[in-house]
Amino acid sequence: MRNYIFIIILLIGSMSVSAQETEMSLSEINSFRAQITEVSDNTKSITADFIQYKHLDFLTNDIETSGNMAFKAPNWVKWEYTEPYSYSVIFKEDQLLINDDGTKSNIKMGSSKLFKKLNELIINSVTGDMFDDETFDVSYSSTPDFNKVIFVSTDKKLAKMIAVFELHFNKNDGAVLEVKMIEPSQDYTRIVFSNRVVNSKISDAVFTN
Amino acid sequence: MRFLLISLIFLLQTSCALQMTKDWVKSESTQKYIENSYFSELTTDYVYKAKIDVYGHKFGGILIIKKIGKEEHRVVFTTEFGNKLFDFLYQKDIFKKNFIVEDLDKKMIVNTLQKDFKLLISEKAKVEVQYDLDDELVFKTSDDKRSNFYFINKKTHTLDKIVNTSKSKQNVEVLYKEIIDGMANTIWINHHHINLQIELKKFAKK
Repeated sequence: MRNYIFIIILLIGSMSVSAQETEMSLSEINSFRAQITEVSDNTKSITADFIQYKHLDFLTNDIETSGNMAFKAPNWVKWEYTEPYSYSVIFKEDQLLINDDGTKSNIKMGSSKLFKKLNELIINSVTGDMFDDETFDVSYSSTPDFNKVIFVSTDKKLAKMIAVFELHFNKNDGAVLEVKMIEPSQDYTRIVFSNRVVNSKISDAVFTN
Repeated sequence: MRFLLISLIFLLQTSCALQMTKDWVKSESTQKYIENSYFSELTTDYVYKAKIDVYGHKFGGILIIKKIGKEEHRVVFTTEFGNKLFDFLYQKDIFKKNFIVEDLDKKMIVNTLQKDFKLLISEKAKVEVQYDLDDELVFKTSDDKRSNFYFINKKTHTLDKIVNTSKSKQNVEVLYKEIIDGMANTIWINHHHINLQIELKKFAKK
């Protein structure tokens, strides 16, 4: 009897997963990756709005911050929070240019490998092109609404901070819809993009502090 | 010779005495305990934008404080991107480091942070001495080998400041500002011996 119940639970469990999400086949993975690489290669710039949700299990509500981002190929990114405070970071070459509500500072990333890695990931997650990164075990699935890629950190130091990156991609145009960074404690940061504009002209001046 | 010794001891003692309380007048005690209720609501998520200046290095982040039990608080600090830098648990007199990034995991840093936030969230302490100043009532409590002085504004009846001292010197000062409906909207933590200032601004309600 107990075995039957177990099997039924297992069936229901796997059914509910399969109804929403299916693992991609090898050929699906290949065509999906080709789509993202093509999109990434043809992307000269991106602007988008975002809402960031910080989830901590002990909080009543997620912490919500929001703002906008700009990307200019090959690797300039400006990330700007406007609510509930004003704070921006520009990732430019080997530097971080920070403007914390008027307090400006520059940080050279040279010294900290982990710091460099985290920033590289933030930049790469904007275009979604992280597949060739050797510090992850990657798995692919699709839902009716989006394609989902899960990057499990294999680098020990990184894994202590972020165990899993989860990216959601628009099925039609390959745009990144959402980035989720999950900590070993299962607390996570979720960033949801909207109003995405690709290949508009962005002045270099946007990337100065 | 003996005179020299006595005067030397006298000199040392007077110079060691806490300057802050030198001209203060002790008053009769009006209450047994002093309370700090700024982080005492179980249902409130206390979320602050933090600016930290340590020896001229400036960096920011988000400080999250939550009371999770009768005498239990979580204190978490993240970057603006949400990456956790540290995650502390305070249970009565027990302190637990749930998480801290390697770069910060140094005894002196952890001790300083632990004490600062303990001072910030401690809700109740036994009053040892009471002083009556022009604008404030001051309550002295003991904290391990140190003392805390709680400054209550006579006009507004709010806790405006806590000063942590050793026997002879001020160590840390916590200033509670923009107090509205029992909530401190701005908090400053200033250290006197190390070059460390923390400024906290509460997230504005939408």
